[in-house]
Amino acid sequence: MRSVENALQLEIPLNAQYIRNLIMAAHGVHDHIVHFYHLAALDWVDIVSALKADPKKASQLAESLSNWDQNSVKHFKAVQDRLKAFVDSGQLGIYANGYWGHPAMKLPPEVNLIAAAHYLQALHFQRRINMVVSILGSKTPNIQNLAVGGVANAINADNQSALNMERLYYIKTLIDEVGSFVKNAMLVDVAAVAAMYADWTKIGAGVTNYLSAPDMPMDTKGTTFALPGGYIENADLGSFKPIKSFNDDFFKNGVKESIKHSWYKGDWNKHPWDEATDPNHTGMKYDAKYSWVKAPTFNGKPAQVGPLANVLCMFAAGHAGTKKYVTDMLNTISAVANAKVGPAALHSTIGRIGARAIRCAVLYDECTNQWNHLVENIGKGDVKTFNAPKFPSGEIKGVGFHEAPRGLLSHWSVIDGGKMKNYQCVVPSTWNAAPRNGSDQPGPYEASLVGTPLANPEKPLEVLRTVHSFDPCLACAIHMVDAKGNDIIKVKAL
Amino acid sequence: MQEPTITILGLGNILMSDEGVGVHVVNEFQKRYAVPEYVEIVDGGSAGLDLIPFIEGREKVLMVDAVNFDREPGFIDTLENEEIPIRLTQKASMHHLGLMDVLCIVRMSGNVPHELCIIGIQPKSLELGLDMTPEIWDKKEALIERVVQKLREWNIPCALQSPQE
Repeated sequence: MRSVENALQLEIPLNAQYIRNLIMAAHGVHDHIVHFYHLAALDWVDIVSALKADPKKASQLAESLSNWDQNSVKHFKAVQDRLKAFVDSGQLGIYANGYWGHPAMKLPPEVNLIAAAHYLQALHFQRRINMVVSILGSKTPNIQNLAVGGVANAINADNQSALNMERLYYIKTLIDEVGSFVKNAMLVDVAAVAAMYADWTKIGAGVTNYLSAPDMPMDTKGTTFALPGGYIENADLGSFKPIKSFNDDFFKNGVKESIKHSWYKGDWNKHPWDEATDPNHTGMKYDAKYSWVKAPTFNGKPAQVGPLANVLCMFAAGHAGTKKYVTDMLNTISAVANAKVGPAALHSTIGRIGARAIRCAVLYDECTNQWNHLVENIGKGDVKTFNAPKFPSGEIKGVGFHEAPRGLLSHWSVIDGGKMKNYQCVVPSTWNAAPRNGSDQPGPYEASLVGTPLANPEKPLEVLRTVHSFDPCLACAIHMVDAKGNDIIKVKAL
Repeated sequence: MQEPTITILGLGNILMSDEGVGVHVVNEFQKRYAVPEYVEIVDGGSAGLDLIPFIEGREKVLMVDAVNFDREPGFIDTLENEEIPIRLTQKASMHHLGLMDVLCIVRMSGNVPHELCIIGIQPKSLELGLDMTPEIWDKKEALIERVVQKLREWNIPCALQSPQE
């Protein structure tokens, strides 16, 4: 949509920008909570070990690290009892599955219990913040309120069937409910896990060119943004160069994709506007073509995208909230690890997980900020949410970008006489999961796995830790129950 | 309105041919049968954690889904309570979070329904496509009949509706 708006050089009403921003922020908070607790955490947290924890010690430890109000002895005991009943029921084969009891699991039982309790609490909070998305977007996932030129939300403070004051204040209530969990549970849990797996601050850096989009536009033209973005080369924060607007040539001209190692017809390295997507599967040949993913480059080099890229860019740009949360997290890690941990630790597998929690807190604050902007703007009497697009005859081109939960997303469109002539998406997982590019440089996943130590090659938990740290977007498609409960994916260490 | 205590959940991805069988069957059931207010009929699609509110704290949950029984396409069976594999599976992506995980999380939260039942069918094709294979769609009546039977077993009234004008 932004790519079409960009092609038309269409201005977006302020209310529509704020509503979109609020949806993006709430969605990001939801996504980051779910990613950490319900996907990544189980690579580091051994739930079975939590059964051996002393709830009193767990409570003391948790309360020494934060003032989250659901860390009582009573609460931890109740969670432990439920986990015990769950494991004792025997039907579950819980000991046999996952990587629980794996030699690479290092957390003490009390920390495992704290994380297990917050894993269950997180279910509630991810749902509450996601309600903001569903109220404004009509449903989630796949919101329905977006339109080229604005949003399809009618604003009328007193009308039952429009976005009114009651709905706006309900949204505010939902936002307020979630803040303490993000700041006092999630940020602290992630810091504790990072501190206790300090060796993982030296593993999994991979590609350290970082690319991130500025987002949360604050004017109708998209020239100022609440959250900065840009490009950092070779882990050097001093090299940060900002992307300044939706029209910035620095970004527009920098992106290309190669299919030298991807299953598409031909072998080329092209700008997205000039590309085609003609699938041509030729089998698994690691020295030739071996992936459905194209290999994007920025100014000829592979780049990592995602929360780490975003946090490093915002940090380098001097974004105040980001600086605060990065500093707080490094201080907590240093305190728990009893050793000074600096920003260099972020270029790692653990750094990607830490950055996601930091970004979650930044986005959380942005929920509140964007809500305030929206209500203030409506208060001025502005209820406009849509500018109708007009398509010219002849060819126009546009690019739209967005800093999505998994990183920089860009859509590229070529429109001829109001009809779409070419449309290419360069999505976050394309950057990170890219095969080798036109000059045979590996993408971020590949590069990050080189040199990863494996405690047990039959159970390569360490590989999963690094791949999960990128929050891959793969196979949304099939969720079939296997009558015997077999895993649908297999990880092979080659 | 009365709070629902029973859920009938159609599961699957209707973009992947037979994978969507559960959704199609439950939609068809809903067209034909009237159920009491305390029964909620849900198109669960391939939602992951979003299914939790429709399972957690309910008395009984009846699901229809494509299931790999390692049998011939069209084979139908019912899995109940302990027979349902409930566990956290290995995932590459958050998008792999499926029913087994959701049921496991509900169990760990402590609010498991008293009765869980999956009516499953072995799919033939999981290729991209809106249409189910004829072999599987031919089993639609048998699957709807299983849903009706199960509801009767649970003493939940369900009656054929008169065709709507």
